[in-house]
Amino acid sequence: MAATGAKAGADPGERIILILLVVFTVLVAALPVARLLLAGLAPGGELDLSVMSEAWSREATRRALWRTLVTALGGTAISLVLGTVFALVVTLTDVRAKTTLIFGFMLPLMIAPQVTALAWIQAMGPGSALLRLIGLAPAPGTPHPLYGAGGIILLLGLHHAPLVFLAVRAGLRNLPRELVEAASASGASPLFAIRTVILPLMGPALTAGAGLAFVSSIGNFGIPAFLGIPAGYTVLVTLIYQRLSGFGPRVLPEVAAIAIVLALLAAIGLLAQLRRLRRDDARTTTLSAAAPGWSLGRHRVPIEAALWAFLGLVVVVPLLALIATSLVKAHGVPLSAETATLTHYAYVLFEHGATGRAFANSFTLAGLAAFILMAASVPLAVLADWRRSRVANVLSVVAEFPYALPGVVLAIGVILAFLRPLPILGISLYNTAWIILIAYLARFLTLAWRPVAAGLAQIDRGLDEAAQAAGAGFAYRLRTIAYPLLAPAMAAGGIIVFLTAFNELTVSALLWSSGRETLGVVVFSLEQAGESTAAASVAVMTVAATLALMLIGSALARRLPPGVLPWRA
Amino acid sequence: MLRLTAALVLALGLAFGAEAQVAGKLTLYTSQPDRDAAQTVEAFKKRHPGVAVEIFRSGTTEVMNKLQAEFTAGDPRADVLLIADAVSMERLKADGRLLPHPGADLSQFPAEAHDRDKTYFGSKLITTGIIVNNKATMTPKSWADLLKPEAKGQVSLPSPLYSGAAAIHMAALSAIPSLGPKYYESLSKNGAVAVRGNGAVVTQVAGGERMYGFIVEFMALNAQKKGSPVTFVFPTEGVSAVTEPVAALKTAKNPAAARAFIDFILSKEGQELAVAQGYLPARRDVKPPEGFPPLADVKLIPIDVPAAIRADEANKKAFADLFGG
Repeated sequence: MAATGAKAGADPGERIILILLVVFTVLVAALPVARLLLAGLAPGGELDLSVMSEAWSREATRRALWRTLVTALGGTAISLVLGTVFALVVTLTDVRAKTTLIFGFMLPLMIAPQVTALAWIQAMGPGSALLRLIGLAPAPGTPHPLYGAGGIILLLGLHHAPLVFLAVRAGLRNLPRELVEAASASGASPLFAIRTVILPLMGPALTAGAGLAFVSSIGNFGIPAFLGIPAGYTVLVTLIYQRLSGFGPRVLPEVAAIAIVLALLAAIGLLAQLRRLRRDDARTTTLSAAAPGWSLGRHRVPIEAALWAFLGLVVVVPLLALIATSLVKAHGVPLSAETATLTHYAYVLFEHGATGRAFANSFTLAGLAAFILMAASVPLAVLADWRRSRVANVLSVVAEFPYALPGVVLAIGVILAFLRPLPILGISLYNTAWIILIAYLARFLTLAWRPVAAGLAQIDRGLDEAAQAAGAGFAYRLRTIAYPLLAPAMAAGGIIVFLTAFNELTVSALLWSSGRETLGVVVFSLEQAGESTAAASVAVMTVAATLALMLIGSALARRLPPGVLPWRA
Repeated sequence: MLRLTAALVLALGLAFGAEAQVAGKLTLYTSQPDRDAAQTVEAFKKRHPGVAVEIFRSGTTEVMNKLQAEFTAGDPRADVLLIADAVSMERLKADGRLLPHPGADLSQFPAEAHDRDKTYFGSKLITTGIIVNNKATMTPKSWADLLKPEAKGQVSLPSPLYSGAAAIHMAALSAIPSLGPKYYESLSKNGAVAVRGNGAVVTQVAGGERMYGFIVEFMALNAQKKGSPVTFVFPTEGVSAVTEPVAALKTAKNPAAARAFIDFILSKEGQELAVAQGYLPARRDVKPPEGFPPLADVKLIPIDVPAAIRADEANKKAFADLFGG
């Protein structure tokens, strides 16, 4: 009878691991969010909306809310169009070099938004070293074309288009093949089939992708910080940041009240995503549906040329501009053989102490977060799936929230929870790197968990049950069955966590302390201080590191469950 | 008299004793531009090779708020501060956060340069005027000129929510009758935008995105020297000024090194380095950098410190509402 229910076979090791996971999730994910709600809604311990109403009575706050909606909805619209078109072409037709096209299209998502913003600023401005090189720079005295709403919308749209692409591509893969074949058989042209059969079926995928792009847009810090602050165009996330850095910790209740409204906005987008989550269970959908592979015929070359030109324009040109700025002697000077110099690289690497520290900090924090989360995601997935633990299932849903919520919301919760010295211990985590690590663990747990859960679904549960029947304890089975078999999926999750944490700014912009800077913070501080050339040098190095890691991930891809690396979708 | 001499001898002894044996880690919080701060620390370490210095650099307002959060957390990390303005120092002093340095050698400094209780010491004179791109159609002569139609959408300001000099500047201009508190409102109506730091203003004006900006003079003059197409203007109403004071914190973990750092900043060598970086030194026996007009010709807008402290919060809120943030 022992084998009939997982519960009956629970051994002490299993219970201890489950309790550890519960404590971990509550401490890093639930506590900060609860602290935030308390500060914003009940600062004195009981419900008191005075902070909330005061924060929202200010013109600047309401203006920022409006601008958040405008930029996020505008960005989402661009993402929807780009992501859908790209997914349709790449998935349904016979264009060549799909892997490379997808890699290029996913790149904006993997590169830090603040780096993207910096690159575009350099590419398009009157001071653009690149445009000056070819004599196309805007006239002096024209404001930067990207500063303000238009630029923010454009870059949010480009940055999050890959999210829509992933959702639509996943949807297309599950497209019932018979319907498309029936349409073709009755004489429908591919475009007609797309309009009348395929797109209507993509409704849930489009909603999910749009929801994800919207939530990511309202929470994005790097893009509105670089393109909005210099134009006085403030959205909620940058408002929160500027309030905190301009007025200090005494405005924490006020920013908590603003953050709660931001979280509510995110909840709207989240609802759209939850539909996708239910549909994404690999075991309920058929993997057999094959894309039609329509031949483009004589249109193939022009369409391919358009795709490559698009990638060149939105990916390659900004990066070239970034490189050009990192090489130019002084800002505003045109790049030429005489003005090219490596001194900015030498400066940030050898003289500017913060950059060296930031590389070490970001590597350590991202590495630790990846390692801890890889280790934690396997027992969580095993308990939730193979062992059917209801608690573990709830935990895996709770773990979604810190990732889905805007990073700034989590960061404020973490400050509120850990700024004052801890009870009993009497030390504060605020001045340490630990507070950033806690936020990373909370925020990225779900990123590590998803590929592991996908990998687990492909492994026969009978292995675990057989070992259990033979008397192996839970911890022993984890070590000998789950960890070795899931190693590639863990590595994929680890790489994604590492890349995301390595390029992260939103959380660390609020949580860093002196000596604990992250790379995102250094790029942002240098740009704020007007050191564009130095900021560009650091940014170029982070892009190089990101690319290297993505390629390492690609090299592992053969051993991974399909779809766990977004740039190999 | 005897007591005074004894105190002097003791102070000198302490100073020299400290000089001989400072070592360990020193954490500096500063609003100096990254490159200047790195050079300052490099020069300090030549004198005190045993000290490892960690720099945290941001705008004065942000530095102050970072400190405030650290006070709340109960573990301030800074040993020594080198920030833009005396008003911020006065607030720290009022909260009892500053460690006096009675042994500081102030013989070459004017009396008004430092705090009477020797908690903080002005090290330079940094004025805020106007930076102009050389392609601009109008050369402004006064602050009021920036409200003209020619400057519409062309003015870039550093934010008091980030920069200490910008906060003082706002207090100073608001106190001038001809400009008054409405001045910033009019600027905002004329399409002026706020960036974060002074450095970002230089980037915008040198890069040609905007034609005019409020700027601390040394940054404009340095950019000019490097070849950027900009000019610095001393407006007719006068310029506001900050003194970039240096101070040790009472909670300093390495007070000896913190005092040695103050001594270095105030030393002839330290002041000469500041001159090389383009700053106007506070010391009388150090010559100002080339290209500076004689100080007697520069009209300084006086600043009422207690009034500036009182108005600070309201000014910043008003600024945030006008310019975002």
